[in-house]
Order: sequence, then C-alpha cells, then structure tokens
Amino acid sequence: MRTGILANSLPAALKIYEELKTVPDCDTFILLCPMPDESRSRVLLKHLARIFLRRGGLKSLRLVFSRKVFLFQKPLDHPKTLARLKALKLDVGLHKAGVIYRETTINCFRLGILNPHIGILPAYRGRNVMEWALLEGEPVGITVFFIDSGIDTGERIILSEEIDISHCRSIEEAKQSLFNLDAVYFRRALELLRSENFEHKLNDRRQGRRYYVMSRLFQGVVEKLIEANR
Amino acid sequence: MSARRKLISNALKERFRELCDKRIQNLGEMAFGSEVMPFAERVRKLLSNVSPGQLVESMGGMKMPRFWQEAESNHANNFLATLFAIALAEPLSLRPAEHPPVEPFIQLLAASRTDPEQRIQLLMERYSCPLNFALPEEEEVREFILTRLMANDRARIEKDSIEAVNSDDLMVKLSLVAIHAAHVPDLRFLDALNYYDELLPVGWQPRGKQGVLLAAYFALYARALATWIQEDN
Repeated sequence: MRTGILANSLPAALKIYEELKTVPDCDTFILLCPMPDESRSRVLLKHLARIFLRRGGLKSLRLVFSRKVFLFQKPLDHPKTLARLKALKLDVGLHKAGVIYRETTINCFRLGILNPHIGILPAYRGRNVMEWALLEGEPVGITVFFIDSGIDTGERIILSEEIDISHCRSIEEAKQSLFNLDAVYFRRALELLRSENFEHKLNDRRQGRRYYVMSRLFQGVVEKLIEANR
Repeated sequence: MSARRKLISNALKERFRELCDKRIQNLGEMAFGSEVMPFAERVRKLLSNVSPGQLVESMGGMKMPRFWQEAESNHANNFLATLFAIALAEPLSLRPAEHPPVEPFIQLLAASRTDPEQRIQLLMERYSCPLNFALPEEEEVREFILTRLMANDRARIEKDSIEAVNSDDLMVKLSLVAIHAAHVPDLRFLDALNYYDELLPVGWQPRGKQGVLLAAYFALYARALATWIQEDN
C-alpha cells in the first residue's frame, strides 16, 4: 500500500512516518504542503530551518535524500500539485495539514484521505466536538474516516473508539492527548484496511449533528467537568 | 440534578445576571427612532432586576407551537409586530394556517447567500409568526440558519469586524434562534446566543433599518436562559 502523509512540516509528519514502519508492505511518503498565502521562498526556508533546528533533523535529512519527501510549493488543488500527486499513484492520504481538501485533491488518492477526528462519528461533526461531547455527558473518542469535501461528512468510517481522558487537567491537555494519538490510529486504520473482509461503518449524517465553536461560557463549564472527572 | 446539569445551570445563571444587569441597561443610552423607542424602553424595564423565575412565569406568548400559525391581523410587518409581542410576553392573536413547504424555501435561502436584504425579506415573510421557526418540520431551515450564524457570519466578524455583516440580517437570525433555544434540549442553539453575547462589542448599536431588533434579541435571549435555568430548578 502506498501512503502519503499530508503535512505542513517534516517534524509533524515524522512521528506518523515512524509509526507506519511496522505496517507490512506500506510504502510511506511525506507530502509537505504550503499553508495558504505562503510564498515559495518562505516555504523552502521554513522547512530547511525546521530540518536543522528541530529534533529529528538527521532523520529528516535522510528522508529527503531517500526521495520519500515531496515539497509542494503550490496549494494542493493547483493543477501542478494535482499532476504530481496523481503521478505518485498513492492509495491513501493521511491528513496532518492545516488545509481543507477539495474533491480534486481527494480523488488523487485511490482510496481517499484519512482523517483522525477527535470525536465519535456520526454523532459529533464539526468544531470543538470533544468539548461538546463532555458538555452533553457523552463519550469522548477518535474516529478515523475517509473525508469528503463536507464537514466530517465522509461516509466511510474505518475505526471509532472511546478514549478515557480522565488523566487530563484541562481542555487543552485533553485535546492534545487525543491529537497525539493520531499516528497510532493511522497505523491501526491502515492495518484494518489491509485486513481481509474489512467492512467500513457508515457515517450516517442523520444520526448526528454538526457542532460549532463553543462559547467561553460553556468552555468554562467543560473545564470544570474535566477537573471534576479527574 | 446531575453535577453536569448543575454546572451548566450555574453558568447560565451568571450569564442571565450579566445580561439583565449590564448589557440590557445599555439600551437606555441608544437611539432607535421615536416609533420603536418605547419598545426598547419596555424591554429594559421588563428585564431590570428580574429573576429567571419571574421571567418564565410571564412567558404566556412563547409556548412551544404544535402547528403552523399566523397573526390574525394583516399588518404589513407582522414579523416585527409578533416578535416584539413575544419579547414582551404580550398575548398573541394567532390562527392556524397551512404549513408552507420547506424544500423550496431552503432553495431560496441558499440562493440569497450573497444578498442579505433578500434573505431578511424571505425570513420575515415565512416567519411572520416567528414561533413557527421552532416547529419540528423546520429543522432543515434551523440548521441552515445556525450554520450561517456560527460559520459564515462569525468568521466574517472575527476576521474583519461587526460592520462586515448586515446587522438586520444578523438580528433576525439571532432572534429566531433565541425563540427555538428556549424550547429544546439541544444546547447548540443556546450556545450560539452565548457566543454572540461574547462576540458583539459592549454598547454596540446596530446601524441597520431595524436596529431595535437588538432589544428584541436581548429579551428573547434572556427568556431562553431563564427557561433553561428554571427547568433545572
């Protein structure tokens, strides 16, 4: 299986890359995408600086020289980027970039792009879903699913699990603890995709709601709930 | 009551007091035009030093509708007249009417994406009795309005300023959401009002033709908060 990690920086992608090494027959590439409004020179300088200054610099350099890293200077939906993505003949994309994907980009991957959503689907779509689940007294968790161009509406769920966050002291810490599980959940999702007779679960929009940014008032309530649940 | 409900209820009580003790008092310093100024003043007086319990007790005009209704009178602007009556908990003269189909209306709303004036007109016409917005059949419209408020309008205001959106359009949508928020356990609607309470600058006065909608919105928001608080008591 040929897999591409869509990320904005090498260090961000590296953790996922290392985790996927244990997946049999998985050939992984790192696809570095520019943030919107970033100039070409800024993109290059930023990545070089990260390689030399951050931890994992040597690993990053080795990856660059082994032709596992591709640096896109144009946005992901630009014709030049789309042509390069198609030429890579990737099966699955792994979302780690701060961008919204258009249908044309998603279609460059044979199976699609996976997203580790920090909420239980189909119940919780949209923004601040971890906080909303806590406020409504519902379980918190991670759902890995194939995205479409809507807000968490992609129909194919690969993996969905409740996660205990009772060790966390704040919203920030709880969210970070869920985000930190992305590499593990990507690996598990890819393992499931490779397994025989795997069938995805349907992300039925009618069984859930779209949530929005939460007010400071209710965020305060959630902070207290997290504190109380420790 | 669970600890979770208690925490939510306490937070809403705090917001209710802030709204009634501080925010609503600003209405007294705003100029809305001689015709509607008495309404704004009545809202200010009604909500000054009121408790959630007292406000809920006075809510005769805001009972959950079970079928489509329209105002008895053929007033040219029934939306505003009925909304103001609901805000002040005045008795409403309504009669049953045929429920207009949702789908064509959604299409019209979607088509008015870049035309707020047309959207205001559409909303005021359909919800000439604003209570109809809370009917179960209107779910798709409510989701559309909630998305406009919490995704599109919010993003524009946070990126630029409150002046980046049409204030009449914003106030019509917030008032409708406030009517629904009082009747449902779905906290997303109430929290849209909480969010806008934090987003709108203190002392902000809408510059639109219907600036006095701000007073109606404050009254309906206070009623939605009071309903939630009372249900937990």
